[in-house]
Formats: sequence, structure tokens, C-alpha cells
Amino acid sequence: MKKSYGIVLAVILCLSVMLTACGGNNGNATNAGNTNTSGDVGGSGNSGKKVKLSILSWNNEKEMAPLLEGFQAKYPNISFDFQHAPPVKDYISKLQTMLLSHSATDIFIIAAENRNEIIDGGYAIDLTNEPFMDVMLEGNKPMLSKNGKTYAFTQTGWVGGLWYNKDLFAKAGITTFPETWDEFIAACLTLKEAGIIPYYDNVGDVTMIHDGLFANTTLAKDADIDAKIFEGKATFEQSWTETFKLWKSGLVDNKILTADMIGLTADQIVNEFAVGNVAMITGGPWNINTFKEANPDLKYEMAPIPGPNPGGNYYAGAPGVGLAINSKTKYKEEALTFLSYLASPEGLKKFEEGSGAFITAKGYESTVSPEIEKAYKEGLLQGKFYLPMVSWPRHQEALRNQFMISSQDLIVGKGTPEGIAQALDKKLAEMDNK
Amino acid sequence: MPKFLKQLQYQLFLIPILLFYTLFTIYPLIKSFIFSLTDFNGYNKNYNFVGMSNYLKIFKDDAIVSGISYTLLYAISSTVLITLVAIPLALILDQNFFTKNIHRAIFFFPSIPSGLLLAYIWGFILAPISSGVLNTVLREVFNLGPQPWLSDPNLAKLMTIIVAAWAGAGWHAVLYLAFLQGISKDYYEAASIDGAGRWGQIRHITLPLLAPAMTVSIMLLLTGGLKVFEIPFALTRGGPGFETHTITQVIVLRGISEVQYGLASAMSIVFFLIVLVITFFQVSWMQKREERVL
Repeated sequence: MKKSYGIVLAVILCLSVMLTACGGNNGNATNAGNTNTSGDVGGSGNSGKKVKLSILSWNNEKEMAPLLEGFQAKYPNISFDFQHAPPVKDYISKLQTMLLSHSATDIFIIAAENRNEIIDGGYAIDLTNEPFMDVMLEGNKPMLSKNGKTYAFTQTGWVGGLWYNKDLFAKAGITTFPETWDEFIAACLTLKEAGIIPYYDNVGDVTMIHDGLFANTTLAKDADIDAKIFEGKATFEQSWTETFKLWKSGLVDNKILTADMIGLTADQIVNEFAVGNVAMITGGPWNINTFKEANPDLKYEMAPIPGPNPGGNYYAGAPGVGLAINSKTKYKEEALTFLSYLASPEGLKKFEEGSGAFITAKGYESTVSPEIEKAYKEGLLQGKFYLPMVSWPRHQEALRNQFMISSQDLIVGKGTPEGIAQALDKKLAEMDNK
Repeated sequence: MPKFLKQLQYQLFLIPILLFYTLFTIYPLIKSFIFSLTDFNGYNKNYNFVGMSNYLKIFKDDAIVSGISYTLLYAISSTVLITLVAIPLALILDQNFFTKNIHRAIFFFPSIPSGLLLAYIWGFILAPISSGVLNTVLREVFNLGPQPWLSDPNLAKLMTIIVAAWAGAGWHAVLYLAFLQGISKDYYEAASIDGAGRWGQIRHITLPLLAPAMTVSIMLLLTGGLKVFEIPFALTRGGPGFETHTITQVIVLRGISEVQYGLASAMSIVFFLIVLVITFFQVSWMQKREERVL
């Protein structure tokens, strides 16, 4: 029996040692983090000291490979622990968990959806005065800034709009893409009469059609409208109702946009367009590879979203997400070296090569696919694009969810255009009083 | 050796389990309760104590009210449907026929992949486009137009429950099968000598003796149904509107997407209590039933 006690005590002792060891490691990690917050960094990128930089990206490994390989060729002492999570919700929740458990990577992405929380929580270092920030477009900075300080570097922007199938348009006898909202609805009805599905929309998200319509009807008249809504000087009801009315009377009432589209996934919509089953969808440059792989013979182009006011059409679009440096990194200088490399002509080229993204850095000319060239030049470079989630200064995700749910209710016959706008006002008030 | 010392050695063996249980279950539960009384946003650790205000917000929240009603409908309907399918299936699979092992494997198969994967596959079957298998069959065979399986509020609720029943029936049939094989053949022989037919044997011997299996199966189905996330999320994303939002989805939505961690914690505590009460009454009632029939 004495032997039994001995075994039991040994088990308890081992367990205690294991738990103490776990606690000890955490303590060390925290200390290391604190030490490095105070600026005691591990050495410069050129010091020759072996360093492993960790990155959490929403571009996958294949897309990031040319950039990482190019950097490693230049700085062989720095290797990477690369981690990926797909955008947007999965990425944000993974990063949130990592930040709270003090296990966040040295470099991570800030998006419009989490910038306020990252900056307010003190999780990212201030990059405002870093030399490489000079190549970042001024127009890209507000999305990643607060109180005049910029916390992430972005070298990209994107533009989206209506992809249309030229052959299906020709089959229905439509020779030019509609310029106004009424012409767009008329074209949809003509396509429908010709037995062609005119348009699929991803109603499981805030649709790009809304972005373009709102920009044409309201933003073009008052560029500060979003700021006014969030300062309490205007309401969603005053500014968005016209957009929702146009959307409902044109697309929903004419049964161009139907309830069954709620059941479609984004991939299904893209595939249906790629194989020529639908004349129009909304999308962006990220769809081009799928179109080419699924149907190399597809003839298509991107057009702006037509609005009621001629000549005032917009695309959807926004600055790209930015790379930020963890305020508790042990390798601040190496992380800065990495961002400097990314901002260099060589780094920008490598990133473009891997991701296919539009590079918007100063002094760099992006190579653009001809199908989206018009959107790139007339939309992105001329600033004729809009995305509410970037323009809204706070509670983007809560408002986006409310927007989507109310829009779906309207499609299935519940609610009114005024109701969607009022629901957004209610949600904003609720979030501000949370 | 004194009796208390002899018992102490057994108690000591429980300490590691108790430590892990406390660390991974009790501690997070207490922490959730603490967060539920604060305005913690999930990022900034400088949060304030807000008392019961998160709890007061819960029942004014359209999403949670809709989530509770759909989750209860899902849990109860899927439990009834799976039980109604699993027991007859178990009775058939209990027969001694040539391909019984293959059939058992076939019916058990849907339980192996994750619910998320199954739902994505069903998403393709139910899609309202040219590649949607079910709509294609309806068009080719009955000349019917595409049905909004996942976008009509009532059809979406029905389809999520049917897919759940399809995925879960095989597993629960195997559970019933295990209990069926524990029933002594003597009962059936005696019943047959007394002139009882097959249906009489099922009604008066099999079903009463399956009572313990039903207690376990229904408890697992109810708790699993109340905690469901994957199947409705992957099939409908909770839509249209809030129609197929589950309680768990609302908790994730409010906590992660909308950075209202305090509110989401309050929701999870209320949800925990709902599951606890329902399960307690279900198990108590069914155990009394077991005592009556056994």
C-alpha cells in the first residue's frame, strides 16, 4: 500500500511540475513581450542574426510565396513562420483570439472591419513616420489611421463592378452597356425576354449594386455624407432611402433579383457567369483567374454600376488591407525591414506577381488585365469608387450584418425600403449606446 | 488502514481530472459570467462593469428572439425525426441478413464527415441554379421550376432539419442497435410461444426495453440540437433575414463580428441555463419512464 501512495504522490508531483512549467513559460513570454515593447529589439534585418518572423495573412501561401522568397533571398538570416486565415470573419476571429492570448504574429493585417479595435487596444505600432510610408497613397491612409497616425501599410487597392457577358448581350440585341439605372433595368428585362438570366447577386452580403447606386445618388452630391451620419448630423433614413427604393422598384419588383438568390453562394454565382449561364454578376479582379480557368473563350468586361444621374457612375472599391506590426513583437526592426522591402519596387512587383492585386503605391504602374482596364483607370485611379464599410468610421460589421439581413427581408417580401434605412439608424444608436 | 485513508487514494486519482475540468470548463464558465457583467469588446482589456444591462438587452434583440425560436424548433423537430427514423432502421439492421454489415456501414457513413462539409454538399444539391441536382430532377421529371429550398423562410427551416436528420439518423440507429443486441432472445421465444406476432413483440418487448437507449439518444439529440451551428450556417448562413439563425450563431455574431463580447457572454450564460433546464427535465422524465417500464 505504501507503494501505491508513492505512485499517487509521484503522479501529483509530475502534474504540478508540468503545470508550473506551463505557467513559467507564459511568464517568460510575457516578459519577453514587455521588454520588447520598450524597444529592446532583436537586431536589424542586416545584422546576420537568425530570426524567424511570424506573419498572419489573408493572402494564402501561394499568393505570398514570390514576396517571401524575394525577401529571403535578400535577407537570408530572416525566415518566416507563415500563417493564413481566409478573409474576412475567419481572419478577424483568428487574429482576435491570438491577440487576447498574447500569441499574435509579429506582422498581421488590419482591415476596415477591425482597425478601431486593433488601434484602440494598442496592438499595432505607429508607422506614420517610417520612410517606406512615403510610397503609400494618401487616399489609402484614412482607412488604416486614427487621430492622424497610420498603423498599417497598404500597397494595394481594389475596384469592383458589373461583369457582363458580351456574347449574351449581343444575343439579346444589346449593343452597348447601359449608362443609366433605367437603361440597366430595361436591359435586364430584354435579356429576360430573350430567355437569358440577366443578373445574379450575392444577397448574402452587402451588394456592390447598393454601393454604386448610393454613390451616384447621394455621395456625388455630398462627399461627407458618411461622416455626417456618424456625427448625428444626418441619418441613414435621409440618405439611403432613395437608394433602397431604386433597388427595390428596379430589381426586386421586376423579379430580376429573386428570393432564390439568397440561397446562392459567391462561388456558385461566379461559376454560373464563367460558364455563360448568366449575363451579369458583380465582382472584382479576384474573379478573373476563375473565369480564365473555367472558360477561356468567355468574352466579358467590367462596367460601372449605372445610377439614375447620367455621367455620375461609380464602381465599388476600397484601399487594400494593410500590414501592421505587433506592438509586442520581439523583432520590430526585422518586421520594419520586411515592410520596407514590400514597399520597394522589387517587393511590389513580387507581391503583384503572386496575388494579382492592383498595386496603388506611388511611382508603380500595375499590369492590368484588359477586361478590367477601364475599371482600373476610370474607377480606381480617378477615385470613382465607394464601399460603405470603409467609409463608415465605426461599427462596420454590425451595420453590415443589419444591412444584409434587412435587404434579405425585403427580397422575401417583408419590410420596406424605409425600413432598411431605419433599421440601420436603430442599429447605429444601439451600438453607440452599448 | 483506516477507511478514510483507503478512500482518499481513490479521491487523489480524481485530482488530475478535476484540475483539467476546472481549467477548461469551470474557469471559462466563471470568466464568461464575469465578462457578461462588463462592456468588454473582445479586444480592449480596459472594460467597465455594467451590471445586468447585457442581460436586459438580450430579450430586446430581434436576432436572439428569432434564434431561440428557430433553435427550439430545430432541436425538437430533428430529435423527433431522427428518433422516428433511427429506431425502425435499427430494427431492420438488427436482422440477420447477408449484407447487414455493408448496410450498417452505409447508414453510419453520413455521421463521419463534419456537419459543415455535409451541409456544403447539400448546398450544391439544393442550389437554385443549373447545377442544383434537386431542381434539375424536378425540371426534367415533373417540368417544375426551381424551388427556393434555402431562401423561402419555411422551406429553409424544413431543409435544415431534414439534412440534420439525414446526417444523424445512422449514428443513432447504431446506438439503438447496440442496446437491441443486449436484449435477451428468451423474451422473444417466450412471447412467440405465447402466440405474440412480430408487431406485438416490438410493442411489448423491444420498445419498452429500449427505454434506456431512448433516454441517452434523446438527451444527445436535444443538447446537440440546441447547440447546433454548422448545418444551418453552412446551408443558409442564417437567412433569409434572421429566419434560420441559431442561438450559437447569434452569440458568434454579437461577440466576434460586432465586438460586443459582454453581450455575447450574457447570451451564452442564458443559453447554458436553457440547455441545463431542458436537459434536466428531459432526463428526469425519461428515467422515471425507464423505472416504470423496466
